[in-house]
Amino acid sequence: MIRLIVMLVLLVFPAWAETAVLKDGDVLRGRFVQERHMRGFDKPLRTEGNFLVAPGRGLIWRAETPFAVTTVVTPAGLVQSVDGTETSRLSAARLPFLARLYDMLAAALAGDWRGLEGAFAVSRKDDAVSLQPLKPDDPNMPAIAARVGRFVEEVEITKPGGDRDRLVFSDQFLNARPLDAAEAALLR
Amino acid sequence: MRTSLALVWLALVLAALAHVVVLARGGLPRETDIMALMPREEQDPGLQAAKDRVARELSSRVVVLVGHRQRDTARAAARNLRQSLVEAELVRPESDIPDEDAVRRLGAAYFAHRTGLLAEDDRQRLLRGEGEVLVKRALSQIYGFGGAVDSRLLARDPFLLFPAFLAGLPNPAGRVSMDEGLPGLVEDGTTWVLLSLRLRGEAFDLTFQNRFVAVFDSVSAQVPGGTRVLRLGAVFFAQAGAEQAMGESARIGLISLAGTVLLVVLTFRSVRPLLLSLAALGAGMAVALSACLFLFGSLHVAAQMFGAALIGIAIDYALLYYGQIFTPRTDPAARLAHVLPGMALGAATTIIGYGALALSPFPGLHQVAVFSAVGLAGSFLSVVLWFPLLDRAPATRLNPRWAAMATWLWRFWAETASMRARRALMAVLALLGVIGLARLEVDDDIRRQQGLSPGLAAQQAEIQRLAGFGQAGRFFLVHGENEQQVLEREEALDERLSGLTNRQSVARFVPSAKRQAENAFLAQQALHAPHLASYRAGLGMAEPEVAAMAAPLSLAQIRASGGLPFLDALVLDDSLHLVNVDGGVESGILRQAALGLDGVRFVDPTGDLNTLLESYRRRALTLVAASMVLMVPLLAWRYGMKGAVRVIVPAACAVMLTPPLLALAGIGFSFFAAMALVLVLSIGTDYAVFCAEDGQRDPVTLVSVSLAMLTTLLSFGLLAASEAAAVRAFGATMLVGVALAFALAPVVARKS
Repeated sequence: MIRLIVMLVLLVFPAWAETAVLKDGDVLRGRFVQERHMRGFDKPLRTEGNFLVAPGRGLIWRAETPFAVTTVVTPAGLVQSVDGTETSRLSAARLPFLARLYDMLAAALAGDWRGLEGAFAVSRKDDAVSLQPLKPDDPNMPAIAARVGRFVEEVEITKPGGDRDRLVFSDQFLNARPLDAAEAALLR
Repeated sequence: MRTSLALVWLALVLAALAHVVVLARGGLPRETDIMALMPREEQDPGLQAAKDRVARELSSRVVVLVGHRQRDTARAAARNLRQSLVEAELVRPESDIPDEDAVRRLGAAYFAHRTGLLAEDDRQRLLRGEGEVLVKRALSQIYGFGGAVDSRLLARDPFLLFPAFLAGLPNPAGRVSMDEGLPGLVEDGTTWVLLSLRLRGEAFDLTFQNRFVAVFDSVSAQVPGGTRVLRLGAVFFAQAGAEQAMGESARIGLISLAGTVLLVVLTFRSVRPLLLSLAALGAGMAVALSACLFLFGSLHVAAQMFGAALIGIAIDYALLYYGQIFTPRTDPAARLAHVLPGMALGAATTIIGYGALALSPFPGLHQVAVFSAVGLAGSFLSVVLWFPLLDRAPATRLNPRWAAMATWLWRFWAETASMRARRALMAVLALLGVIGLARLEVDDDIRRQQGLSPGLAAQQAEIQRLAGFGQAGRFFLVHGENEQQVLEREEALDERLSGLTNRQSVARFVPSAKRQAENAFLAQQALHAPHLASYRAGLGMAEPEVAAMAAPLSLAQIRASGGLPFLDALVLDDSLHLVNVDGGVESGILRQAALGLDGVRFVDPTGDLNTLLESYRRRALTLVAASMVLMVPLLAWRYGMKGAVRVIVPAACAVMLTPPLLALAGIGFSFFAAMALVLVLSIGTDYAVFCAEDGQRDPVTLVSVSLAMLTTLLSFGLLAASEAAAVRAFGATMLVGVALAFALAPVVARKS
């Protein structure tokens, strides 16, 4: 689950990069390509779709191909659905770390990195950011590398077992379009 | 002869006193568990043992929630509270929250046997042939955001059935989860940390509970500002109950004592009758305590409370004796001779009444019966043996106003002139009785009778809501010839209960070997065979590792991991398991659900107690009738058959009128009121006997009886002010019943 936290934080990296700063009320939209490299698989599993981040409200992650999976993360928890049918749900009341994730997010948005730095050694060179786990033998702690421009452009997450996720973000626009009614309903 | 008898009695009383003092040096062995007063009338010893074990398990637990808006503050406060209680040796140091290693061992034990494990929802889907739903779920986890999927897991469990099994395990505290080694939850920005503690002492031990609550209070008073500490546990309820009962009995005792002293001193205008009465009372108390400790080994607070009040009746004999100073008789022997028949008959009928208490099935009431019967007999002997030797009082004139009132009451029941008034009074009483009877409601709910502290009950409700605990206490007992049969029977029960209520059964954590084999077969037939090839092809996935189904997962393996410590409370032995039920489903529905299942019994201790209270309420009424019948031969020997009936009538009327009259005041009829009626009968008969013994309608007799009534009302009637509904019902019944019995008593002297 730590991966989820890290990814969310990375999506708001602009707060750290000099240019775009996300604040409450902003809506960041974009497209993603996720490649999941797993041992014993012929080829990486590739997912394409779109996402939106609304600080203070949550994240909507919509995979379009190879099939439509929507994940909504809000302060209340995480809900995943396929074709409009809920397939799994994690509530923040049952998982306190989800609630802490939001504390961390809010802190990161305000430029407070202590939450992340408690778990990772964070280093940066030009547009490359690297997060190395402080406890490398923890099987749940991945290593993370990212390329950051105006927004986060690319992320690679390497797990101790050798599996690797690569995410490429594109077409990112800040406040190009407000939340529509359906999106607002998902984030309620 | 008289003197030597008096001395023998004195020696006996002193010996009893010494016995009590020796035992009481280390603190009087007292008990406060209200349930100890309750009947243990279980036919099946196995069932009783299971009930006792569950009750013990529940009473030894304490659950605390510590909440603060700052997570770190809440965690530190919770750790500190636990630490303080452990250091004071009040709770066990070992935690019943499994540590990370135990959870890892548990996961490993489960994982090795994953082939036979299915979440219940998944099993149902596969039984319905809906394998494609599970395929879709696996794909959404692989392609979706986040997720705990990795290649090693997929190779061993391609459809991710194992994570679903783990997620589907029942959680006894549905909203609680682990957060860095401490269980807790977050709600509305407040972090709550849960402490689950096990007491090192008995929750119902007076000394232990006071020590525990004192330390708990002082530590939780030192928490940082903004911290909330919620508590739940039998020890808190017991302590609050005992504190209230003792505070109350001290208060009521004080008022009762002061009132009695004032009454006696004002009536006799001398301190000697008071001192002698107290000596008689003290002697009764000493022999009663000694007998109780000898027979039962400990004294129940309730027995002490009721018993002490019952002995209060003993003062009636002293008062009856001392009433004689208002007559011309000055020789103590003549005074005694005049009142002895009434006194002896009264004592005999009262002891018969209390003897009836001993016939009740409530062990606590046996103590009350022994305590009061022995105490009463002791006081009676003290009056008879000591008073004539110590009485120096000259003849005195009775207060004229009081004498006039007594004479008026005699006349009211005797003279033809007041015939109309008598009839009118009877008609009004009968009418009120009929109206009241129509409004009479019985109340057998033990929870209402216990008088639980409302503050603690509110905290209990809040903890149950926050943590998602169900109402504890109700369970199924599942019995079988061996462990496998028990597990199979639990699975049959589970199917009946699914959708009805939350429950924790061992079989939901460790399926029977039969079920595990079925699961493996089902997954193979309904999921792997039709879907695996296309699923793998779509993902480009290598051939999964096929786990050979070795020996099935056993309960012993899971328990040995230490990851599910609460299973220990569910396993009574290899052939007997508990299935805990929570949620508010009615007991009747649950009992119905298990109907026809072999080896399964539903147990609802509270509900059973309510049913028992109901049947004992009926039985108490039978007791009233029985003791009435038992008194008849004694009274008939003295007054003839007709006279005996007449002597019983006033008390019988009081017994029949009291519940309807109380119903008019909105007081329901409970077992405890019924037990009070037993006493109303014997006390009322006493009064009638005292009146019947008086041939001349001497106002002195009625003054003595009214003094007796007033002292009884002071000791019992005041219980009507108690916070505990059971005690209140008892007191109110005594108050109305005894007053009525007194007012009606002079009717017995009508014909003489």
